[in-house]
Amino acid sequence: MGLLDGKVAFVTAAGGNIAGATARLFAEEGAAVACADVAEEDVRKTAADIEAAGGRAIAMVCDVTDEDAVKECIARTVAELGPLTTLFNAAAHSEQRFKVADMPVDMWRRTIDVDLTGMFIVCKYAIPEILKAGGGSIVNISSTYGKIAAAERPAYCSAKGGVRMLTKSIAVDYAADNIRCNSILPGPIEGPRMLQRNPSIEAVVARHGQRLHFKRLGQSIEIARTALFLASDESSYTNGADMAVDAGYTAF
Amino acid sequence: MGRLEGKSALVTAAGGGIAGAIARRFGAEGASVMCVDIVEESVTKTAGDIESAGGRAAWSLCDVSKEDQVRELIGKTVGAFGKVDIVVNAAAASEPTHTVVTMPLEVWQEVLDVNITGMFLVCKYAIPEMQKSGGGCFINISSTFGSIAWPGRPAYMATKAAVKQITRSVALDFAGDNIRANAISPGAIETNRLLARTPTMDAVREKMVPLHPIGRLGQPDDIANAALFLASDESSFMTGADMFVDGGFTMI
Repeated sequence: MGLLDGKVAFVTAAGGNIAGATARLFAEEGAAVACADVAEEDVRKTAADIEAAGGRAIAMVCDVTDEDAVKECIARTVAELGPLTTLFNAAAHSEQRFKVADMPVDMWRRTIDVDLTGMFIVCKYAIPEILKAGGGSIVNISSTYGKIAAAERPAYCSAKGGVRMLTKSIAVDYAADNIRCNSILPGPIEGPRMLQRNPSIEAVVARHGQRLHFKRLGQSIEIARTALFLASDESSYTNGADMAVDAGYTAF
Repeated sequence: MGRLEGKSALVTAAGGGIAGAIARRFGAEGASVMCVDIVEESVTKTAGDIESAGGRAAWSLCDVSKEDQVRELIGKTVGAFGKVDIVVNAAAASEPTHTVVTMPLEVWQEVLDVNITGMFLVCKYAIPEMQKSGGGCFINISSTFGSIAWPGRPAYMATKAAVKQITRSVALDFAGDNIRANAISPGAIETNRLLARTPTMDAVREKMVPLHPIGRLGQPDDIANAALFLASDESSFMTGADMFVDGGFTMI
């Protein structure tokens, strides 16, 4: 008996590190999972992994900034997997390092579009389906940098701050409809993307210094387990929360 | 001797209730004030008030969401006063009441464009001028609704949270340039904007005063006092802060 038996989940960025781990964990716990991503090969791999492990999944290519595409993907999820109960919003784009004065406006807009407007669009079309299902749970990925600043990441920090309040907005507006909405603020999580900006994982750990209280990076499964808690009925009184999963990074 | 003697200040939304009070206060404390708004009648009134009180002011129309207009505005301010020492970012749009599901994407986009991209643009073009003159400070108007939720305001709340984070981003990235950036989060302030949603100020008071432990609505001068402190050297060790001027609204 899984924690998400009978649930249908829509997971964005499911080809990625954190959302991929979450999609797989949700499926292990009994949910049917619609895996959405812009990267076709990656999202197919996640769905295939789920099926190979005996779970139920579909893969779909979806750009969350494209209103029509999102509408279609949500409709396809309901048609193929059944009433939608669970939403995991992880799609995010991170700009190159620039300070405000040097950042091109197009680059600012791209991050705001994907990280914040994309999440708005997915919620806008998923919520009516969750309402039809009688309620459910939405889990949005914010960041440590939605709460404290990172050097030379103005758009990412701003968008992730916006995610926290979009989450609370939904939490308040749909509480009476039995929809809960919470955000997760992951600290630095080990993943392949990290090595694009840094020479080694050890270098990342060293750079974060004394704020990294566990002297290690977080693992994607640690975010997935938090998402499972928030998606399941074990968190039935948790609504509008922003849950830091950062080993005390923002507590210091 | 005024507390802002010799300073050049740019104030957006200076035709409005809160920013108008800030502009007048800055003018009374010796700053030269560039009053900016999209409404000519109200911004010329603020600039006129400053001048008739013996202060120095100029005014300009500017839609802060338009890059060309912002660039021109900064040039015009430097042309008029020689530099930009202080920027108050108060321009903000507020959507009609909608939940995420009922809000059209265009409405969401407009609020994001003005409230956060507009602030990004003003910072982007003002910072190089502050660097030239040896430093400066930003006062960005956020809101209690950037920290706690209210029904039916997803776009406004998401942008006001983003304001807190772009403030921290600027504060961090330009700390070494002697540029400070702080946010103010006002509670319900008695301005015409409150009448957009509630027919009379008495009705607003009836609804909102019980939520403010201090027992009254805020006045624009309450925010102007806080902005003056943040603009002056009295706050020289404050940067990246989020100052609540809310009569205790968010403490309960």
